[in-house]
Amino acid sequence: MINLRKIAVAAVAAIGLAGALPVSAQTPGPVRIGSTLALTGPLSATALVHKLAGEIYIEDLNKRGGLLGRKVEWIVRDDQSRPDLARTLYEQLVTSEKVDLLMGPYATGAILSAIGVAQRYNKMLISHTMGIPSLAKYDMHFPAWSLGPDPAQTVPTTVFEGLAQTNKPPKTVAVVTSKFPSIHFLSLGAREIIKKRGLTEVLFLEWEFGNRDFGPIAARVKDAKPDLVWVGDIGLEGNMLLEAMKKIDYEPPMHIHLYPAPGPLANAPEGKNALSLTIFEEHAPYTNDPVAAQFVKTFGERAKQAGLPYTAVETQAAASFTAWQILEASIVATNSFDDRKMADWLKANRVKTIHGTLRFDRGNNFGDDLMRMKQVQDGRWVTVWPKEWAPPGATIRTQ
Amino acid sequence: MKRSVILAILAAGAVLAAVPSAGLPAFYESFLYLLFHWIVLAVSWNILSGYTGYFSFGHGAFFGAGIYGTAFLAGKMDWPFLATLPATMFVAALLGVALGAVVFRVASIRGEIFALLTLAVTFILATVILNTRIDGGPGIYLISMEIPKLGRTQSASIYAMGLLAAVTTLLVAYLIYASKFGTGLFAIHDDEDVAEVMGVPTYRYKLYALAVSCALAGLAGGIHASFVSYVTVSETFSILVPLSVVLMSILGGSRHWFGPAVGAVAITSLLYYATSGDYAVAGRASVGFILVAVILFMPEGVLGLYSQWRRRRNAPAATEGGTAHAPAVPVPSAAARVVRRPAGPPLLQVEGLSKAFKGVQALNDVTFDVRANEILGLIGPNGSGKSTFINVVSGHYKPTAGRIRFDGRRLEGLDAHRFAQAGISRTYQIPRPFAHMTVLENVATAGMFGGNGSGRAAATEAAREFVEFAGLGHRAHVRPDDLNLHQRKFLELARALAARPKLLLLDEVLSGLTPGEINEAIAMVRRIREGGTTIVFVEHVMRAVMALTDRIVVLNHGRLIAEGDPAAVMDDEQVKVAYLGKSHA
Repeated sequence: MINLRKIAVAAVAAIGLAGALPVSAQTPGPVRIGSTLALTGPLSATALVHKLAGEIYIEDLNKRGGLLGRKVEWIVRDDQSRPDLARTLYEQLVTSEKVDLLMGPYATGAILSAIGVAQRYNKMLISHTMGIPSLAKYDMHFPAWSLGPDPAQTVPTTVFEGLAQTNKPPKTVAVVTSKFPSIHFLSLGAREIIKKRGLTEVLFLEWEFGNRDFGPIAARVKDAKPDLVWVGDIGLEGNMLLEAMKKIDYEPPMHIHLYPAPGPLANAPEGKNALSLTIFEEHAPYTNDPVAAQFVKTFGERAKQAGLPYTAVETQAAASFTAWQILEASIVATNSFDDRKMADWLKANRVKTIHGTLRFDRGNNFGDDLMRMKQVQDGRWVTVWPKEWAPPGATIRTQ
Repeated sequence: MKRSVILAILAAGAVLAAVPSAGLPAFYESFLYLLFHWIVLAVSWNILSGYTGYFSFGHGAFFGAGIYGTAFLAGKMDWPFLATLPATMFVAALLGVALGAVVFRVASIRGEIFALLTLAVTFILATVILNTRIDGGPGIYLISMEIPKLGRTQSASIYAMGLLAAVTTLLVAYLIYASKFGTGLFAIHDDEDVAEVMGVPTYRYKLYALAVSCALAGLAGGIHASFVSYVTVSETFSILVPLSVVLMSILGGSRHWFGPAVGAVAITSLLYYATSGDYAVAGRASVGFILVAVILFMPEGVLGLYSQWRRRRNAPAATEGGTAHAPAVPVPSAAARVVRRPAGPPLLQVEGLSKAFKGVQALNDVTFDVRANEILGLIGPNGSGKSTFINVVSGHYKPTAGRIRFDGRRLEGLDAHRFAQAGISRTYQIPRPFAHMTVLENVATAGMFGGNGSGRAAATEAAREFVEFAGLGHRAHVRPDDLNLHQRKFLELARALAARPKLLLLDEVLSGLTPGEINEAIAMVRRIREGGTTIVFVEHVMRAVMALTDRIVVLNHGRLIAEGDPAAVMDDEQVKVAYLGKSHA
């Protein structure tokens, strides 16, 4: 007769034994990387680009065997475009879900919230697009967007050096800018550079984030007759300003936009010859890197499938991809998932990414300023300065 | 006020205070902090908007004043963090009071106009902060701000502050809810004009409520600055705060002190539950769908539904039907003998009283006295100025000219609640009960604010007698909507009497009643006068006028055309002409 009691005891013992086995004897579980993104709310349009870029990277990484032989699982939470929620979600990821590693969220407010959590729990945090380097004081925070430690000086310098090489270098500049934090400080920096370079600032105007009425600003710019309009804009603000200018029959000789929505500006007739900033565009020499070329191809296909409004890889997608490259590089190099070891390695070494080689050894780990200038040429964005990042034959076009 | 509720709030606070030492992952502190944060914001919003019905979309401004108060004082002026909190409460309250002092004076700024105005304040404040050195554009980073060590970690310290703020807010909300002040606010919610005429100092009460509401929102903002650590104008003054608190309060039930807390917990938890990255949009959409469904099917919110259920349970079984129980007064026959009273000294003296509405002279130089303990009939054809007279003498309208002397005091020019406090009480031709209060609460409210006024408990106790007197004892716990016209008229009467007035103004209290009901009413009016109350009786039912009144005053086109003994006045030629017209035969 079968002794059911003995069988049950044996089963319980077997289960207990299995639980007591050393971890090394079991199949290692996936490496769990936690992050939040603004998948809903006002920042969702851009955050979806980061989600897609991350998914593409993780899929490829897992095809290549994952990290140190373990599959990678990316746990993404929706912070609903709210920094306070981002903080709580990162705390959940660290203290409750106990993820192995962290990846940064999108937008400065959420990144700063995530940095606070990472700092409290000694976790390394790589951010995609941290726009204000001076605020990111945590020594284990690493930016994928290589702005350099003092972009307020270096970014405008890059712009005006490039423009100085054209056949019509601007002598007078109108600075009009949103008061959006990560834009405003760059525009203020531009004013200083304008002065230092002996140019004349003929107009300085600010607007509040969310402004929709650009008519008065356009009229003031027209009256000032600048050679160049420095537009500190984000999203569709630049389009609205150009439309307002068009209504009063004014076309600025040259205009540079800081963070415009790339698709709408490139597609608008008044966006012709518009200048902007970038770290990556879909042309050589960026795409000479086979990794970058493959990413461009995959991203374009997947973005189309996902119905994203702009399917080309530019700053946001490239920064996102770069963040994952930095994480992988530090893990592979240290053969470890130890946050401190990885951070120490990153500070002492350089990482080759799709938008250049990055270093993190100065200025809140912001390394070099790799910002470049791009221009709408024949309906598409083309890097035009510095020359080594421009496709063959491309130069800055003036009116 | 129930001590058990206060103890329950404190006990819940004590239990939650132990969470950080329970060994749970620190994330729970952070999540619970978010619940506390939204509880403070939603419950504080409700103190003004839920209790008084003044829907504010400006709560984000007061919250923003708090967040920027702390950010500026601690981040730029190096104040200790804790010292910034009372300062932010004060600044937010001051902002609210400055706004209220202006807008509450204007009767037309109610409803959506008030909501839009408060929303505009949010934008104005955001603009000021963005364009001054308070922020200036780049935001304020507070990572180096020292958080006082109230727990073993920074998260635990912020948790403790959030908990303390939530407990304080709930206590304040309950204490107001269960007080005479709270009753006054609810009366304002249901019918502000009636509340004022009944003795509620509406202007002052709204200002107090706004100040408390703003101070608590400021406190929430101050603490939240330490939680987010990077403060920007666009995120602080987004529409998220006002929309969320409105939604939370409606979901939980804005008529109940605890309703917004229920809504805050439900919505914050649901939104948190919907943070899965794979189904973010679907998650938030489903949360929205749930909220829409709940609000559609429970317009008074979760606790509104609960209160409704409790009212039904408390109401006696035989509460249905249109036939009221017989009033607790003897019903006279229609032909009851008229007993005239000797005239007393003048209680109310109006002299040269005039009231014009944009050129229409509704009252024109009216002068007469109402003597103590008499029933004065005030009659006249439609449009003669009777109701205007009642409205002026009850303080609802300010006279264009003339004097009102009542019981030795001049009243013209004073706010209506001062008339009620002086001892004048009135009914409305078309009953205007407080729709969201029960019959008993309606009557008790009048007792709290009319005449000398009394405490909430005493007024409620006394109200039972007046409800019984009006024959509504069996309907004491139903809302006015459940009463028929007859009962609503008697509720008006009971409410007016509960103020224990020296002068009672009855405005067509018999209109629409059946002959039998009129008999009941006549008997009741007699009983009221026997209790020592002077009555001005505006009526078209001449049978009742002749049966009840000691004297009659007749108005026509706003002018007094006759005054004196009822029989003599009814025989007056001018009166006949006024009612019947001139014969041209």
